Amino acid sequence: MPKIRVRKLDKDIPKAAKALCDEMLQSLEKGQRPSLQAIKCSLDNSIYKASKGYFTPGDKKVTTELNVSSVQKLSRTIFLLDIMLNNLKMGIVNTKRELYYIAKGASKNEPNLKPLNIQEQSETDSVISYITDLLEVYREELNCHAGDKGGQTFSKNLIVTETLVDGSKAVMDLSTMGTVAFQPPNKPHVFKLKAKKKKLDFCLVIESEGTANTLVTNGFTKRNNCIVVGAGGVPTNGVRGWCKTIQDQLKIPIYFYGDLDAYTIQNIYRTLKAGSAASLIRNADFSAPDVKFLGVLPHDIKKYNLDCYPVSEKNSSDARALKKAKDALERDPFFSDKKNKKLADVLRWLIKQKIRCEQQAIFAVDPKDPLMSEKIILDKIKRKDFI
Amino acid sequence: MGKITKSSTAEYFAKNLQQVGFSSPLKAVLTTLKEAVDNSLDACEEAGIAPELKVSIKKVGKGSARSTDLIQIIVEDNGPGLEEKDLPQVFGEYLASSKFGRGQCSRGQQGIGISAATTWAQLTNATGVKVTSKTKRMRKAVNATIDVDIKGNKGLLKNKKTIEWKKTNGLRVDFKIDGRIQLNGDGGILTYLEGTTLVNPHLTLEYELLDNEKVRVERVSNDVPKVPASTLPHPHTMKLGEFLTHAHLYGNLTLAQFMKKAFSRVTDATIKDCVRNGMPKKLATMPVKKIPEKEFKTIFQAIQSTELANPSTKSVLTVGEEGLAKSIHRIGEVDFFSVVTRKPKICDFKPTVVEVAIARFLDKKAAAEEQSIQLLRFANRVPLQFDKSACAITRAVESVNWRSYGLAQSKRSLPQGPYVFAISVTSPFIKFKNASKETIDASDDLVEELRRALMQAGQKLSRHIKREDKAADLERKRAHIEKFGPILVEGLAKIAGAGKDRKNKATEGLLKLLGRESKAAEKDLKNAEDRLSLLKDKQAAKLGRIRKKEAETAEEVEGTEEAALPVKKAKAKKKSKAKKKTKTKKKAAKKKAAKKKTKKKAAKKKTKAKKKKSKR
Repeated sequence: MPKIRVRKLDKDIPKAAKALCDEMLQSLEKGQRPSLQAIKCSLDNSIYKASKGYFTPGDKKVTTELNVSSVQKLSRTIFLLDIMLNNLKMGIVNTKRELYYIAKGASKNEPNLKPLNIQEQSETDSVISYITDLLEVYREELNCHAGDKGGQTFSKNLIVTETLVDGSKAVMDLSTMGTVAFQPPNKPHVFKLKAKKKKLDFCLVIESEGTANTLVTNGFTKRNNCIVVGAGGVPTNGVRGWCKTIQDQLKIPIYFYGDLDAYTIQNIYRTLKAGSAASLIRNADFSAPDVKFLGVLPHDIKKYNLDCYPVSEKNSSDARALKKAKDALERDPFFSDKKNKKLADVLRWLIKQKIRCEQQAIFAVDPKDPLMSEKIILDKIKRKDFI
Repeated sequence: MGKITKSSTAEYFAKNLQQVGFSSPLKAVLTTLKEAVDNSLDACEEAGIAPELKVSIKKVGKGSARSTDLIQIIVEDNGPGLEEKDLPQVFGEYLASSKFGRGQCSRGQQGIGISAATTWAQLTNATGVKVTSKTKRMRKAVNATIDVDIKGNKGLLKNKKTIEWKKTNGLRVDFKIDGRIQLNGDGGILTYLEGTTLVNPHLTLEYELLDNEKVRVERVSNDVPKVPASTLPHPHTMKLGEFLTHAHLYGNLTLAQFMKKAFSRVTDATIKDCVRNGMPKKLATMPVKKIPEKEFKTIFQAIQSTELANPSTKSVLTVGEEGLAKSIHRIGEVDFFSVVTRKPKICDFKPTVVEVAIARFLDKKAAAEEQSIQLLRFANRVPLQFDKSACAITRAVESVNWRSYGLAQSKRSLPQGPYVFAISVTSPFIKFKNASKETIDASDDLVEELRRALMQAGQKLSRHIKREDKAADLERKRAHIEKFGPILVEGLAKIAGAGKDRKNKATEGLLKLLGRESKAAEKDLKNAEDRLSLLKDKQAAKLGRIRKKEAETAEEVEGTEEAALPVKKAKAKKKSKAKKKTKTKKKAAKKKAAKKKTKKKAAKKKTKAKKKKSKR
């Protein structure tokens, strides 16, 4: 069966895994403690360079030495690694959930594996992440796919061609789908995108799937030669990979429209644009650095007289959000970079003003005009009123 | 304007019985019992008698009010008894007290409680309290019914007769009231009785509740606490009016003499300071009765602004660490306890002693891991059972970070686990929030003092928990080696394509590596055990000579407090066996040998003793 590669990888995974295990075994034979080194996936090991546009890993490594406390984790790691290597060999694909059940079943049925005692999916998930950090490969490269989907996508001028496992092609014409959303699975490498007629003008990623649906239902994609994607909160790997595919293949501007609050800027927009510290290895293919922040921007509040909510330090969740925003300004390399100064300024403004404005607030500008929200978005794009 | 009428104290209380603990049928039973027991214990202590109380609570019919029962509450003591003439005053007159304002740590203070109980009985069952009393001077006991004359605030003696009573002295009260009975829980009668036995180690209590079997709890101390005499008032605890009244009692003395004689902490030096703070110098040598009344305000203000030593703490009574430690075992089988008695401290200008006992009960262990601890509150050795959240004691417990001592706790709430926290506040002037004395006012001073005591007890507790954690850690490490070692080596060999020889060699290496760690964990556990046994030795010393001897014979029960308990030894041994599993085989063998030796010795001693007896 021909295999579609997620990316170009100069690494033979089974060979690398074998070498790793052989080294561990040798240490044990000598009565020495084997130790494993994995990339440290955390903010303090994240490097952000505007030229690249996404977080890359630094030099820091997490060393796990075999001892009584780590023997369980390492046993589980080697056990799951064996299953995944077998999958690679046989060409079998599994989701994380399925791998959890495979591991759980084995530990339940095979007497010698009983001590592994796998109870929750979080236990196998963390081991899978550890294996990918250890081998510095994508989960998909180990034939493990998550069930997450790319955002709900609408367009009247987009054709998506999917290469299937058997090499055959499936073609989706999004113009024929009406208001039904095309939701791509998290396999950005299998899609080929092209405009149906003329080159697309832009792609609008909206934080709320509901608002994206409203715009499409009201004819946004009919009147505009564009793609609308509903991100659905914090972007999953699927959404990030899909936006990256749109950016790279169609080479059109991508705008993000969402709430004006610290959470959206820090967690949603930053992750879409530069990836996350937890997935340092895969940010190159799972982030869209060209995406622009269209709004809501601070000056929009005054311009369109938008309704805001107060952010109170007395409220525990608000206080936590404010503290996180302050921490981000101090520690997050994305906001420290000169290129993102304007975004950092917005964050500072939010901390100072202690207010938040929701993306749906534009619907109150002229309730009699159902197209007002579309007009505002288009006007902002036209005036290049984005960051 | 309507006609102004005057009502008696008894009338006021008869209409407002809820203010003194009779707000519901449930509380009425508990309050009646409480008042009777408090009076008995106070009387016994005052006469230097070790109290022996018999309590009986039974349903004897249907109550007069809807959904109530007619409850009979009998409390009998071995106290000095009351003379016939005193009976109406004690049981039927409000504010007739031998303890009011004396500044002593007695349970009763104002003379309201027992009269209120009589009133409740009278209001709900149309009869007051039946009393049988005998003093040492009496040949026969007096038996009578006492009613409250509500209009006149007087007690009325009815149906008086003299009867034969085996006792040389004592008092028996018999109330029949409308009420309902709750045995367990915060407001339960059993909780009250357990609490009372806990803080009164010198009490022998026999109780029969409803149709349950009679229970007898023997005293664990023969020392009857002497309630310390009150000390002279401290000027800073007085108000101007009180100061004036107090001054009139010392009319012929000069002001300086009056101040030195009538107050504590006033010396010649402080009088000089008062003069410096605005008290006219000439007044100091003037007889008190000749000083014009308006000058008293100046004198009073000068005293208030003068710095004085804190009031004496001699008037405060404590249960004592030894007493609490012995007493706590009477509630149930304990596998750990720590007791702290703080030195008397001045809180809000009042001498106060805080005592804390923390115990873990074996019978509560399984059920209560995720429940809040059981909090027993005491004020002047009386359990407080209602309005927990507003109490200074609850506030103090919630303010301590119990997580640092190894207990689970949500933010600003009671910690969790199978523990009982018994906290006692003793002071001649406890600031209660209400007349029914259910909650102690949470002043900053008192809460801080309580916190300190709790933290001290918590430190002792954490040593115990740490030892358990270390034991669990060792257990876990050993289990990990056995469980995961083969899986790891098997997996590595499979992926690396290694043969049997390599696999065996790797297994040996792994066991060697992890074995070293478990030895280190054993060492940690040994250190923790040593530290804990040091603490327990100290506690055992406090348990007194007799208990210590018992502890020696019980030996080997893992150095825990249950060793000091002759009762339920078998269970304790079982537990110690379970713990021993975690120790190395070598240690176990050594211990067995030691046990055999001690048993042999004990057997030899016995046979020697028998021989001696037979010779005699």
